[in-house]
Amino acid sequence: MSGHRIAAITRRLLQGFRRDRRTLALLFVAPIVILGLLGYLMRGSSSAPQVGIANQDPGALGTVVASALRHSSHIKTTDINASDGDAKLKDGSLVAYIVLPADFTQQAQAGNVVPEVHLEGSQPGEDTPVIQALQQAMISLASGVAGRSVSFQPHITYLYGGSNYDTLDYFGAAFVGLVVFFLVFVITIVSFLNERSQGTLERLMASPLRRGEIVVGYMLGFTVLALVQAAEVLIFALAILRIHNEGSVLLIFGMEALMAIAAVNLGIFLSMFARSEFQAVQFIPLVVVPQVLLSGIIFPVSSEPTLLQWVSNVLPLTYAVNGMRDIMVKGADLTWASLELDAGVVLGFCVLLIVAGTATLRRRLG
Amino acid sequence: MSEQYAVSVEDVSKSFGGFKALNGVTLRVRQGEIYGLLGPNGAGKTTLIRLICGLLEAHAGNVTVLGQRMPNVGVLRHIGYMTQQAALYPALSVEENVRFFAAINGAEAGVKEALELVQLFDRRRSVVATLSGGMRQRCSLACALVHRPELLLLDEPTVGIDPQLRVQFWEYFRNMAAAGTTMVVSSHVMDEADRCQRLGLIQYGRLLAEGTPAEIRVQGGSQNLEEAFLALAGRKES
Repeated sequence: MSGHRIAAITRRLLQGFRRDRRTLALLFVAPIVILGLLGYLMRGSSSAPQVGIANQDPGALGTVVASALRHSSHIKTTDINASDGDAKLKDGSLVAYIVLPADFTQQAQAGNVVPEVHLEGSQPGEDTPVIQALQQAMISLASGVAGRSVSFQPHITYLYGGSNYDTLDYFGAAFVGLVVFFLVFVITIVSFLNERSQGTLERLMASPLRRGEIVVGYMLGFTVLALVQAAEVLIFALAILRIHNEGSVLLIFGMEALMAIAAVNLGIFLSMFARSEFQAVQFIPLVVVPQVLLSGIIFPVSSEPTLLQWVSNVLPLTYAVNGMRDIMVKGADLTWASLELDAGVVLGFCVLLIVAGTATLRRRLG
Repeated sequence: MSEQYAVSVEDVSKSFGGFKALNGVTLRVRQGEIYGLLGPNGAGKTTLIRLICGLLEAHAGNVTVLGQRMPNVGVLRHIGYMTQQAALYPALSVEENVRFFAAINGAEAGVKEALELVQLFDRRRSVVATLSGGMRQRCSLACALVHRPELLLLDEPTVGIDPQLRVQFWEYFRNMAAAGTTMVVSSHVMDEADRCQRLGLIQYGRLLAEGTPAEIRVQGGSQNLEEAFLALAGRKES
């Protein structure tokens, strides 16, 4: 071992990075961006979920609890009729509603209350603040029935999912799409850059091929691969992992296909901004990580700080993930407006990227 | 525009940022001739070839190819372009590469003939990544000529290949020219200049001289082409 020779290698490495501003920026900016995002997501003044309250109790205690719920910092409340509750869960205006039954005061005096908690249930973690708020509201009950301890047994029902769902059932739906999106994106961006670095793109440009033909040809080629992969992932998820599925398998596959096409086009488009495979790989943390954090896969979009909700709402992956959950957890079909919106946004994103990819290809050789 | 010129470059300038790669170049390539574009590395040869096939657009001046003002997508099917590095798909076989370039030019019928011309027909199933540099260069040539272009642009086709193969390449070129193909061949090797019918000497983005090898010798005042070139270059600079 010669210290001199080792130092030569070390020096050479650092010298190279000094000229590669982009890598330096990535090395020092990306961690701050990603950690900052995570911090803001988890500590920022997160939005409280919308919860409906239906107080059917003519007695005093229902009013006490309802008022305590209204003042809870965990949730935002609106008063509703119990009969409207399910419809409001379906259209997404509420994540849960609580029914305090007509005999609530009597129940409390008897020492055991059974409020009804109706959860939308398609996203994990959404129910935590609801249960927390309810537990705190129950403390206020103690003053209403002096001297007695009141046990609290909420009756929880789920519109979607439910107690027979485990964590994988919630995350699985999103991850089936994400795995395909991520891998296809990486393969596309690297192979398109290969085309550039091995000089064949220059040859294609000097041939009668039109720019749009190159982009669409690429898209079809990778889409074929991506569809085979999507089918494999889907079969594994449903048959081996037995992830819960309420919807049509064909619809899931269709949504996966849309995500794959979006990923291919994102890869082609972003490859225009990288000069080497090395630089392309650097897009992964910048493009993929924030999307994973903000698309609602892990943290429900509805509980994000308002500012991040705006960002989430322009990310295509948000819609894709939402669509996958709609199908697999809720059993949505194409008559659902929410699924039409999700599929439409992802499709629109594909078209936008095809156009952008074609336009960028042209400019490069202007 | 006179019809007898396959390529006509009129007072063309092209800069990249602040760097003037070409500065008022005018040259003409006649139909069916082998035109040698000679000059040191960085003289502007590749830029000129890219302008001729429409990959770049001139900032000033006109480039006309086969009667069409460039860039023009319609003319591209009549042009074959061999890039400086052997630009091929390494994971595909020789035949798959040639067939691909044939297909994008709509000329699949020419695959066998192109492979035979560069003597790679027996190696057609070999994967390009496993080939030697010389064979790659031949495969690259086959890809450039498979659609039988009227104009073949070859950017330093003989760089990095052994003398035997270089002789072979010039034989291919002569045969193709005899069959009516116009050829523009760039090189920085002066001993190849004698194999061309006419020459354009480029340095620092300017055309120093144009003419047959014999004319260049007279202009440069030396029987040795390399010396003639250096004499012309020195005269321009002073």
